[in-house]
Amino acid sequence: MGEKLTIDSTLRCDVLVIGAGGAGLRAAAQIGELRPGTKIIALTKVTSPQKSHTTTAQGGMAAVDPKDPVDKPIFHIFDTWKGSDCSADQNVIKKVCNMGWEEVVWLERNGMHFSRTEEGRIPKRPFGGHMLNFGETKAFRACYEADRTGKGIMDTVWNESLKHGVNFIGQCIATEILFKDNKCIGAIIFRYPEGKFLAILAKATIMATGGKTRMYLVSSNCRGNTGDGLAFALHAGIPIMDPEAVQFHPTGMVGPGILASEALRGEGAILRNKDKEPFMERYAPTAKDLAPRDLISRAIITEFREGRGLFHEGHNAQHVWLDLRHLPKEVHEKKIQEVCSFFKRFVGVDPEKDLCPVTPTAHYQMGGIPTNEFGEVQTDTQTIIPGLFACGEVAAASLHGLNRLGTNSLLELITLGKVTGERVVEYLKDAEDPEEISPDAGHIVFDQFSTYLNAQGTEKYAQIRETLRNLMMEKVGIFRTEKSLLEAIEGLKSLKERAMHIPIGITSLKANQDLWQIWELNNLITVSMVIAQGALARKESRGAHYREDYPERSNEFNYHTLVSMPEFNKITLGKRPIDMSIFEAKGERFELFDYIERKY
Amino acid sequence: MSKSYTITLEISRYDPDTKLSWIQTYQVEVGGILRFVDVLRKVNDEQDPTLAWASSCEHAQCGSCGIIVNGKPLLACELLVRDAVEKFNTQKFTLKPLNIAPVLRDLVVDLEKAYDKVHEALPYLIKPAPPHPDGDEYRISPEKLDIYVEATRCINCFCCATACISSHRNFLGPNVTMANIVRLMDPRETAKEERMDILYREDGVYRCHTSRACSFVCPKEIDVSHFLALGKEGKF
Repeated sequence: MGEKLTIDSTLRCDVLVIGAGGAGLRAAAQIGELRPGTKIIALTKVTSPQKSHTTTAQGGMAAVDPKDPVDKPIFHIFDTWKGSDCSADQNVIKKVCNMGWEEVVWLERNGMHFSRTEEGRIPKRPFGGHMLNFGETKAFRACYEADRTGKGIMDTVWNESLKHGVNFIGQCIATEILFKDNKCIGAIIFRYPEGKFLAILAKATIMATGGKTRMYLVSSNCRGNTGDGLAFALHAGIPIMDPEAVQFHPTGMVGPGILASEALRGEGAILRNKDKEPFMERYAPTAKDLAPRDLISRAIITEFREGRGLFHEGHNAQHVWLDLRHLPKEVHEKKIQEVCSFFKRFVGVDPEKDLCPVTPTAHYQMGGIPTNEFGEVQTDTQTIIPGLFACGEVAAASLHGLNRLGTNSLLELITLGKVTGERVVEYLKDAEDPEEISPDAGHIVFDQFSTYLNAQGTEKYAQIRETLRNLMMEKVGIFRTEKSLLEAIEGLKSLKERAMHIPIGITSLKANQDLWQIWELNNLITVSMVIAQGALARKESRGAHYREDYPERSNEFNYHTLVSMPEFNKITLGKRPIDMSIFEAKGERFELFDYIERKY
Repeated sequence: MSKSYTITLEISRYDPDTKLSWIQTYQVEVGGILRFVDVLRKVNDEQDPTLAWASSCEHAQCGSCGIIVNGKPLLACELLVRDAVEKFNTQKFTLKPLNIAPVLRDLVVDLEKAYDKVHEALPYLIKPAPPHPDGDEYRISPEKLDIYVEATRCINCFCCATACISSHRNFLGPNVTMANIVRLMDPRETAKEERMDILYREDGVYRCHTSRACSFVCPKEIDVSHFLALGKEGKF
C-alpha cells in the first residue's frame, strides 16, 4: 500500500474504440473497410469482444425488406416516433430506418447465420409496436437468427474487425478521456491482469461502452454493465441526455431477471395474471401482448398492485405468467430454443408444458451521451467535441427518445455504428497525431484508486450494492413520484459517502476484483444520481418515464433533458430540442409526425 | 418454499503476487435455486471479498464463467445448487479454474490468451462468394443450414477444450477446430483450400482422439465431436 500509481506506458493508434460490442466493432469494421491499414485499438472489459453484452440480444433486428409486399420504411419510421412517445429525433429515425435492410444484407454477406425461410431467405417475425399502415396491424419486420440474433451480430462484427486487423485489448477499463485544447486525444486505461495503467493516444476516439442497468434489483444486463462510460463522460463535463429514460423489459425471468425475449410474444406467447386472464387485452386492445414495452411493464405492475399477480417463494418476488404452451413444438425447438433452455435451466419449468413466471427487468437506457446523427459527441446542439464520437447504447442520437421499440436497438448499433465509422474516416483526413499526454493525465483514476485502496471504515461493498439496487428499483423504477425521487437522491448521497469507507480485501493492483467492483459501484451511484435528477426534473409521463404525480404527457416537456454533473450531485440541467424535420418537411402523412396521441 | 442446502466448497486459490497456490474451504448456506455464480457472490459478500471468479452475462450466452466442478468443466452460471447436489450426489464441491490458459487469480483464467487460438481459425468468411444477383442476401435452404446450425451456437467457453484428452499444446482444440469446420460447411465461403490447410495442419483435427469428451461437457449441448468427425471425413 502507498505504492505510487503511474502510467506504465503509452500506446498510439489512429482510432481508439472504447467498448468492443456491436456498435463499437461495426464502426471499427467500417473504418477497416473504407480505410485499410488504419491502426485501430478496441478495448473491452471482458476477455473477448465475442463475450460482449450484445451477444445476449435475442429476438431480432428491425428492417424493412424492399421486396416486402406490404411493409414500407415510412411505417417503421412512424412506429419508432410513436413508440418513443414523440420524443425521438426524426432526422435520426429516418436515417436509421432507411438504412436497416442494407445493413441486414451487410451482416449476412459477412457471414451471419440468419435463420432461413423455405425460399432460403432471411425470415421476419412481429415485435412490439411494429405495425403496418401507421398502426393498423402487426408487421413482420424483425429479421432474426433463431433467438440468438445478438450473438449472430456480435460474432459477425467481431469477425470482420478481426479480418481488418483491429487490435483488441481485453480485461481493461477506460477510466478517463484525455483532452488537449478541447480536442479528444485518447484515454487512460487500466488492465485487470497486470494491474497496470496505460495511456492510449488516438486521433479519434469512439465511445461505445454500452448500457448500465446493474443499479436495479432486477436487471437483464451483464455483470459489467455499470455505466462506466457515462461516469467518465460526466467527469469530463459532458452532459447525459434523457438519463431518466430507463427501459424495463416486461418479461424477465423471475429471479435473476434474465431476458425472455419479446420474440416469444412475437411467436404468439400470451401474458396471463393469477386468474389466467390474458390481461393485455384490457390495456392495449389492438396491439395486446405486442404493445410497446413501457406499456406492458406498467400493466404488469398494475396487475401486481391490484392483487392479480403471483408470488414466487424461491425467489421472493412477484410475477405474472407467460404462456407458451400452445405454440407448436417446431417453434419451441427451433425458433426459441435458447430461451426455452433458459427457462428449463434457471427456473426449472418446461415452457412446452408449464406456465413461465416473468417479471419486469431493467433492460436498456434510451438516453446517453448526446450525439448528432453522425455519431459526433455534442455538448449542446451547436458544439461538437472534435475527435470524440459515440455510438450504441451509451449514445443518444436519439433514435429512441423516451421509449425504445424491441429490435430497434440492434438496428441502431449496426446503422449508427457504420455511420460513426464513416464519419471517423472523414475526420481522419485532416487529423493530426496527438503529441504527448499532459503530465497530470491519470490523476482522476489515481485519486479514485488511492481512495479505494486506502479506505478505512466498516462499510461493506455488498451491503451498499444491495441498498442501491433496492433503492433504485423501488424509487426510480417503473413508477416514480417527486417524493420517491427526492428520497432516492438523499439515499444516493448517503451511499456515495458510505462507498468511501469500504476497507479493501487486497491491495495489490493485479487481478483485483474487489478494487474493480468498488470502482464500478461508484460509477453506478454516479449514474443513478443522474437518472434520479433527470426523472425529478421531467414533471410529466412520457415513454418509459412515468410520474404518478404527473400521469399525462405535457407539451411543456417536448425536449430532451441534458444533465451535467462534473462533481457528484453538482447538477446543471439543460435542454435539447426534439428534431421534427419529417413533420416540418410537410411530406406524406406529415401530420402523423406531430405530437400525436399514443394508443395501441 | 424452496429447499436450502449447506454446501462445502473447496476452492483452488492462487495469488499472482506471491505465486502461492492453496485450497480454501468455505461452508455456505444457500437456496437450491441459486446458481453457482450466486454462491460465489455470496462467498464474496459474506465471507471473503478476496476470492476472484469470472462471469459476465450469467445466463450461458457469453461463456465467461467456465470452471471445473468436481472434475467437470461447466459454466458456473448454469449450475443450480439443487441440480449440482443431485448430479454429483454430494454437498461437497471442489472448484478449480479451467486449465486452458494461465490463471490470473483464483478461478479467473486469462481467456484472452485462449482466444488467440480462435483467431488462428479465421472465424470470418475469408473469401465470401459473390452476392446474389438480386443484390440482397445469399439463399441458403433451411435444410442446408440445419446441417451446421448447431455448431454456430458455440460461445467459446472452452469447457470442451478443458475436457479434451488431447494435449492443449499440440491441438488447436475442439471449439477452435469446429469454428473452422463451420465455415467449411458454410456455402458462402469460397476459401475452402486455405481452410483445409488449417484443418489438417500439425495441430489440426487429427489430434482429436474421438473421446467425445467435448460433446459430453458442452454447456450448449452441441455435439462437437460430430462436427470434428465430419472434418476428419472431409464431409462438409
